[in-house]
Amino acid sequence: MGGKLIKYPIYTSVFLLFVLFIIAPVFYTLLFFEGSLVENLKLLDQKTFYLLGKSILIAFTIASFATFFGTILGFLLYRTNLRFRNFYRMVLMIPLFISPYILAVAWKDLFFLFTGSSDWIASETGVILVLGIIFTPLSMLITGNAFNNINTHLEETGLMITDLQSVIFKIILPLIKPALFTSFVLIFIFSISEFSVPSYFGVRLFTTEMFTQFSAFYNHSLAVLQSVLLILICVVLLYADRKYLADAPFLSFGGKGKKVKIFTLKKYRIPDELFVFFWFLISVLLPFSVLIIQSFKGGISKFIQAFELLKPTFLSSVYLALLGAAISVFIGFTAAYISEVRKIKIFDWFLLFVFAIPSTIFGISLIKFYNHPFLDFIYSGFAIVIIAYVGKFSFIAAKLIGNAIKQIPQSLEEAAQIEGVGFYRRIRKIVFPLVLPAVFTAFIINFTFSIGELGTTIMVYPPGSEIMPIKVFTIMANAPQSLVSAMTLIVLGVTLLLITIMYLIVKPLLKNYSDANN
Amino acid sequence: MPIIELKNITHAYGKKRVLQNISLNIEPGKLTCLLGGSGSGKTTILRLIAGLEIPEKGEIYIENKLVTNDSNILIPSNKRNLGFIFQDLALWPHFTVFENIAFGLKERRTQQIEQKVSEILSFFDLQAFAEKYPHQLSGGQQQLVAISRALVLEPKILLMDEPLSGLDVKLKRKILEHIKDLKKNFDVTLVYVTHDHREAFAIADQIIVLNEGKLVEAASAKEIKHSENEYVKYFLEY
Repeated sequence: MGGKLIKYPIYTSVFLLFVLFIIAPVFYTLLFFEGSLVENLKLLDQKTFYLLGKSILIAFTIASFATFFGTILGFLLYRTNLRFRNFYRMVLMIPLFISPYILAVAWKDLFFLFTGSSDWIASETGVILVLGIIFTPLSMLITGNAFNNINTHLEETGLMITDLQSVIFKIILPLIKPALFTSFVLIFIFSISEFSVPSYFGVRLFTTEMFTQFSAFYNHSLAVLQSVLLILICVVLLYADRKYLADAPFLSFGGKGKKVKIFTLKKYRIPDELFVFFWFLISVLLPFSVLIIQSFKGGISKFIQAFELLKPTFLSSVYLALLGAAISVFIGFTAAYISEVRKIKIFDWFLLFVFAIPSTIFGISLIKFYNHPFLDFIYSGFAIVIIAYVGKFSFIAAKLIGNAIKQIPQSLEEAAQIEGVGFYRRIRKIVFPLVLPAVFTAFIINFTFSIGELGTTIMVYPPGSEIMPIKVFTIMANAPQSLVSAMTLIVLGVTLLLITIMYLIVKPLLKNYSDANN
Repeated sequence: MPIIELKNITHAYGKKRVLQNISLNIEPGKLTCLLGGSGSGKTTILRLIAGLEIPEKGEIYIENKLVTNDSNILIPSNKRNLGFIFQDLALWPHFTVFENIAFGLKERRTQQIEQKVSEILSFFDLQAFAEKYPHQLSGGQQQLVAISRALVLEPKILLMDEPLSGLDVKLKRKILEHIKDLKKNFDVTLVYVTHDHREAFAIADQIIVLNEGKLVEAASAKEIKHSENEYVKYFLEY
């Protein structure tokens, strides 16, 4: 492999930088913790294991809930003649692309408005409900893509023999099993890593406990030991899933158009439409309407106050998210190309490994590694935040771009190679233009995730700096509910506005691409 | 009395009209080839007979029963007693050979499933592959599994959509012999779609020539070979 690495100097440089800045902190933290191992192991008491069990159970329930409903929605919206399915496919994605705490605030508001108390929602059930709703669109996207990729003839052969119900349960669902498993594992990892929702609801889970141990008691040893346990779980899961996840074509966008069989719902059409509308109601319409109502409850003054509080954060947040997304996409493209075309998978595995590390643990790792006098230029500036974004989300960029690279016939690049076109020119003139839509999509998604990231950012953000989600989160505890609602509404508005602007910028470029390909 | 009857069928994919007021009959117990170039509408006719497409206009009768009337499917695909072999064979990758063949029998709650599957496997000399998955078989073996899967349900009609397109000449010849024998061994009417006139002449009793969604000529294979129709003569030249 050494020979191969020397053959691709840019890839090797990017890979080594990733290892140095992102992988090294994780290993440093896990391998070099303070005190003797025996003494530290004594810290792992019954309470810790109870908390671990509870966190796993909750993440398991969320992953099952989201995969179950996401699969139903995926089938209905991607494969049936349900009315307004294109509209629903778009709007139901909103919860996935905003910070989880926004929806948590909205749900708390909702319960408070209708019952006068938020006790029921500020509980383990609330965490499951809110995160379940947030991650259902991810499952919908993964399974919807899988439903679309099934060879239509496999279904039609089934329909020649038996009815639609049997075809769904005995042919279609077994065929998308890898997508179901991928959906479950991804959501499990996202859920076990989630910090903001349990923290806002005051539910003690592993991530919140680690944050407390580290931030409040400054108990490094316990936090690191706990993190080892959690990383072990994620790694075991990934090991079990490596067959599927490493090669899963999830989150694919802009694929080549192909004929997909659309099933007619007939007598089930109205109940199915009611179900989808109900989902739209509980995941988008109701929470965000309540957020608006709560924000303007005390007149416009709370809204102005919220805007004033957030104003200093806008520029730095957008700048950091843009930079983080750009670097992630560059890393993602490099890793994806080498992995898909040259079949060197090691970079892919490292990206997956960091992605699987719960966000607070990743934050602790970065602090422990960079909190040294000679690395202070990283630790006390925004560089550590960028490193956090890049570490957390490069995997997503690599998967999106990798899936697009997979669809390019190798002969296109080989034809240029035979004509004597050099390696970098081939990448620039042949491969890159062909995966442009995926690159743009990866950029927008990475930007969206970065601008809302909280779990790692809250650990590493430099004191005195102004970052949007941190500002909202630190104010949440003591501010009146209407102010919190107004702030989250502004964050939501800013995020959606930026996504729309980026989409409008990218749209003509994508149209040119689409015209050229037709 | 024809076993399949298409009356004034018109069909379009979006704005593109693929069949224009076409009528044709398929005789029972015979092997009929639908012959034509790309875009002639031959596969669409097969899919309409199977109930996988809904026509804009026209009627389809199978065994004298009206199965499709204008845009209404009156009898669904699984109740038409048809078998269908797709160009890509569509063997379910998550089922073994045995499971692929047994699936339809199980769904129809047939008695003596194991015996029926074993019989068809031995007829096509496939017993040794019963526990294998489709990807573990050669192209020719996959072909025979697809035929077995369709025939085990004892359909009255077997529809085949260019099933030999991916095979080499030698294997194609061997499978064509198998297909010719199906009529007498399984008491089945065969409708075979192809763009290759040599393939059609090798097996067909009756040939229906199509061009751009219209029926050009329908006659016995011998008559088609000596047809005076300009398009048929042109098509057979290549």
